[in-house]
Amino acid sequence: MDNRKAILKILNLTKSLEGLKVVDSVSIDIARGRITGLIGPNGAGKTTLFNLISGLLRPDKGEIWFEDKRIDTLPSWQIARAGIGRLFQDIRIFRKLSVLENILLADPNHPGELPLNLFFNYRNIARIEQKHLESAEYWIEFVGLEGKKDSPAGSLSFGQQKLLAIARLLAGGHKFLLLDEPTAGVNPAMIKSLLNLIQRIVKGGKTVLFIEHNMNVVLKIADWVYFLDEGRVTSFGRPEEVLGDTEVRKAYLGV
Amino acid sequence: MNYLFHILIMLCIYGILALSLNLLIGYSGLLSLAHAAFYGIGAYASTLLMVKLGLNFFPALILGIFISGSLALLIAYPSLRLKGDYFVLASLGFQLIVFSILYNWIGLTRGPYGIPGIPRPTIFGFEFNSITSYFILSAGIFSLVFVFIRHLCQSPFGRALKSLREDEIAARVMGKNVPLLKVWTFIIAGGLAAISGALYAGYVTYIDPTSFTLDESIFIITIVLVGGSGNLKGPLAGVLFMIILPEALRFIGLPDTIAPNVRQMIYGLLLILLMRYRPQGLAGEYRLE
Repeated sequence: MDNRKAILKILNLTKSLEGLKVVDSVSIDIARGRITGLIGPNGAGKTTLFNLISGLLRPDKGEIWFEDKRIDTLPSWQIARAGIGRLFQDIRIFRKLSVLENILLADPNHPGELPLNLFFNYRNIARIEQKHLESAEYWIEFVGLEGKKDSPAGSLSFGQQKLLAIARLLAGGHKFLLLDEPTAGVNPAMIKSLLNLIQRIVKGGKTVLFIEHNMNVVLKIADWVYFLDEGRVTSFGRPEEVLGDTEVRKAYLGV
Repeated sequence: MNYLFHILIMLCIYGILALSLNLLIGYSGLLSLAHAAFYGIGAYASTLLMVKLGLNFFPALILGIFISGSLALLIAYPSLRLKGDYFVLASLGFQLIVFSILYNWIGLTRGPYGIPGIPRPTIFGFEFNSITSYFILSAGIFSLVFVFIRHLCQSPFGRALKSLREDEIAARVMGKNVPLLKVWTFIIAGGLAAISGALYAGYVTYIDPTSFTLDESIFIITIVLVGGSGNLKGPLAGVLFMIILPEALRFIGLPDTIAPNVRQMIYGLLLILLMRYRPQGLAGEYRLE
């Protein structure tokens, strides 16, 4: 892969949790404008790697670079503002807030979240709020939750909550998206439109790194695949190649 | 009539305290035991500015807000590093320190002797010295505070606070500067509590440290928990209930010798029942975990 095209570079990243090396000297380059899949058995360190990228954990060793910025020393909110968004495996919507409020919270850099701006820059804030309201309406419609705008997010069905989480992520406008099992718990019809959506946003210029257990999904949308086992990258390449690798098949698929 | 106005003034003073503490408890999810300290800082700051420097009530009030808000930074700082119970202990420490400063710095505060003869507020030569006029002043200030807090809670700032109360990890990953949001909440809650302090001092015209003890902090927390937190009607319901209940209990004719004890028992019982059957309070939407 051409390294100059890498939007995210992980160099020799190591992280131990409770004495166990969960991520072990991992080096990864994520191609800009592509979909990269991260696969591997449970406990391989995939979600830990996501936590390291989004700044929820600090690495013991190694570096993470996003574009030209070293991010492994930054707090999560700065990483989000630099352009990295994340879909959590356990969704993490704000259950007591309404669907609309959830989406209005998407902007990582809303000046109205600082009290002084509210009083001294009121007009500008009101204008931004108006813009956010319009875009929120768009995203709510986009995922088909029109009737639920004012319902508390916790009252939605699991599938709807997932759609809300996706809408909230997309409304954030990040250029790099971390998706932790985007299709888990989503019905087959919805999976199809979800995959279309992912391909569409990548065509629009975004980059996606996703964790996935459904190999059909990986084969269908991934441009590149990393296989992670016991915290190490043991295989990398095109999806067909990686999934054809005998070691991968043995370790993961059991055949 | 005077009795009624007295209760109404108390409702305004405690209304501001409960609404401001609710910003911490109900919006940031932080249980602070130091709210009476900020109430006291406001009372002492505005009083000293009036008595020692001869300032008018209103500029003294505004300076008091800034002094209390700045001191709130002191407790905001440890709060960024501490979670849950440890934060509660840190706020307890702050409360105790402020009380002992008020009690022991006799050169400044006259300690246990208190400060008598606090002048009543005046504006354009009009003195708020009748109870009716003081009620109008209190109601006016309360309304301003209420509108301010409502504006804040409905703003993107209030929304961001609610998001971190719901799920701090998600909020961080969504770009919310959680430490800064908490610091601001402290500054605002501390500054607003100072308004109650100044109003109280101007009303009773005498203050001493015993009005700003840990017990008082617990009383304000009780108001917020009984009424409920996370919205504006919860704390206000709590204030109505907790200020009017003891007055109502006066009328059921308990013998004077046991009345205060029975009242304390009724409070305790109510709190236990409420926590058991309605943990979100009378009208709240957030439950402190």
